[in-house]
Amino acid sequence: MSTAEALGQVQAAGTGGRRRMSSPLEHGRNRPTDPPIDRWPEATAGGDPRRMTSNGSVEEAIVVRGLHKRYDDVAAVAGIDLTIARGEVFAILGPNGAGKTTTMEILEGYRRRSSGDVRVLGVDPESGGRALRERIGIVAQESGVGQDFTVRETIELFSAAYPDPLPADDAVELVGLEDALDARVRALSGGQRRRLDLALAVAGNPELLFLDEPTTGFDPSARRRSWVLIENLRALGKTIVLTTHYMDEAQNLADRAAVLARGRIVAEGPPESLAGRENGTAVIRFRVPAGLEPRALPLVGIELETDHDRYVSVRTEHPTGILWLLLDWASRRGEELEGLTVTRPTLEDVYLALTAEGRE
Amino acid sequence: MSRRSHLALGWLWFKGRVRLMARTPRTTFFTFVFPLILLVLLNALNDSKVEVLGGRIRFAQFFTPSVAIFAMTTATYTAIIFGVATAREQGVLKRVRGTPLPMSVFLGSWLASAVLTGIVSVVGMFAVAIPVFGVHVYPDLLPAAVVTLLLGGVAISAIGLAVASFVKRADGAPIVANLTLFPLLFVSGVFYPIESEPEWLQRIARFFPLSHLVQAFDACFSPFTTGSGFSARDLAALAVWGAIGTIVAVRRFAREALDEESGHSGRRLWEPTTVKHSTARRSS
Repeated sequence: MSTAEALGQVQAAGTGGRRRMSSPLEHGRNRPTDPPIDRWPEATAGGDPRRMTSNGSVEEAIVVRGLHKRYDDVAAVAGIDLTIARGEVFAILGPNGAGKTTTMEILEGYRRRSSGDVRVLGVDPESGGRALRERIGIVAQESGVGQDFTVRETIELFSAAYPDPLPADDAVELVGLEDALDARVRALSGGQRRRLDLALAVAGNPELLFLDEPTTGFDPSARRRSWVLIENLRALGKTIVLTTHYMDEAQNLADRAAVLARGRIVAEGPPESLAGRENGTAVIRFRVPAGLEPRALPLVGIELETDHDRYVSVRTEHPTGILWLLLDWASRRGEELEGLTVTRPTLEDVYLALTAEGRE
Repeated sequence: MSRRSHLALGWLWFKGRVRLMARTPRTTFFTFVFPLILLVLLNALNDSKVEVLGGRIRFAQFFTPSVAIFAMTTATYTAIIFGVATAREQGVLKRVRGTPLPMSVFLGSWLASAVLTGIVSVVGMFAVAIPVFGVHVYPDLLPAAVVTLLLGGVAISAIGLAVASFVKRADGAPIVANLTLFPLLFVSGVFYPIESEPEWLQRIARFFPLSHLVQAFDACFSPFTTGSGFSARDLAALAVWGAIGTIVAVRRFAREALDEESGHSGRRLWEPTTVKHSTARRSS
């Protein structure tokens, strides 16, 4: 990618209008070792000192510009721009085949990209080598360990290559695998294996964690426990990039999420406002008070959907006004509106709408 | 807070591998028991003398070091091809690539532990053959025997690694390992003296490293061997083969680092990206 193209994409990204936790392009990078980033017009030297880590590296954990990955003529990733700040928990959502894992594997250094610019902790993952891998932890979708090592041996063998690893006891405690510390890998259940994957990723005490569907196959309580783990890791200032099929996971964990469909980002933002969720059509639902017809309600000219058991619902872009009418009416009459709820589209609703074309 | 050296990491993994092998019964069976059965049966069935290594010697005196090399080969070449193919299929190689553990340290410690298993197996053969079949060990030739065994073990392991880099699926490993090893075992003088073979077969056999290892090691147990027992030409051939194996293995595993991995089983085949990817890999 030429500098001009890079600039074009940076500007496009900067004016995209999507809400972001932070707009990293406005903050300083003064490291002469990163030419493409350094030459961006928004980059100004200095800036907020908190945005620089102690070793002087840039504030962004991950910067992706114009990323493409083609296999023969099929584009698995068709132009992705992404900026993930340090300390952020970022979720990548999307149906199977949308390019999530390909994107993750490019960021992790497992795959070459066809074109585009990628910086992970300030370096190109294709050539980052051992120095970069000391600073990242990976839970890949499928990566094994020797079946006949114990959990403790596995953690100690792999974490030995990191400069500042956690003791095996701490790593298993973080993921709730204490009881299996001396069990062989062969004897672990599927969920325990996945927790071992997590333990191995955190045992190296990395700055940045890639979690590719980390809780797939977990029972609900194990899933909740791993959420606590991810919250704890966030509290330690780790950057976390995760993919998931569980919308509640993204909702609960992620500061920001991106939805991928057919190799492109179709929406990006905090889960609570993704794709305009917070301004989308609201549904007000309640039970019509006993002895009244829906016609008696103060909602003249507003379409009501009647439901079973005297429930009615109103779809509206302006829930505040309608609620005011309704509540004023009810309180004057001394009626209780049973079962009153106001709901916005869930993350899952938004997700399904965004990815619908991709599914066919 | 400091980075461990390759050597320190390698030592840690080597110790881990040794522990691992001690607790994997299947490996133990193939490396110790099978050659031991061959040793006992063939030595017991064959009490004649054979024309080999410059004179007529008792069959057991010829066959014991030969079958010891067979044991070394199964402990290194075969075990490495099986093990690395399985590790690839289970995603262990992919895991290693995602960590700061250098692949060379991971595979190098594997190689070292395989050679150690081979040495233990060889010592075991002699521990049985010396009292039971009256095999002689000549102290003057022992240093040469040890050096030959070590060099040969390392060379054959390195070739095993090189071959393993071409084996993409675990179920292909037995076929590749046996198809490459067994014909060579028969023509390389393990079961019969290589001198009794037709000239053309000898020439083929002498191209490959196994015959050099068998010749050099057998010579260390022949009463007709003079001097220190070092077979310079055979050792040189082994060194060349070992170097080729190492270079091929290093290049292949380094190139695999990006974009060739992750095609292992269990991959979601309904993901178009993956299907496309594996197709591309096959055709390349």
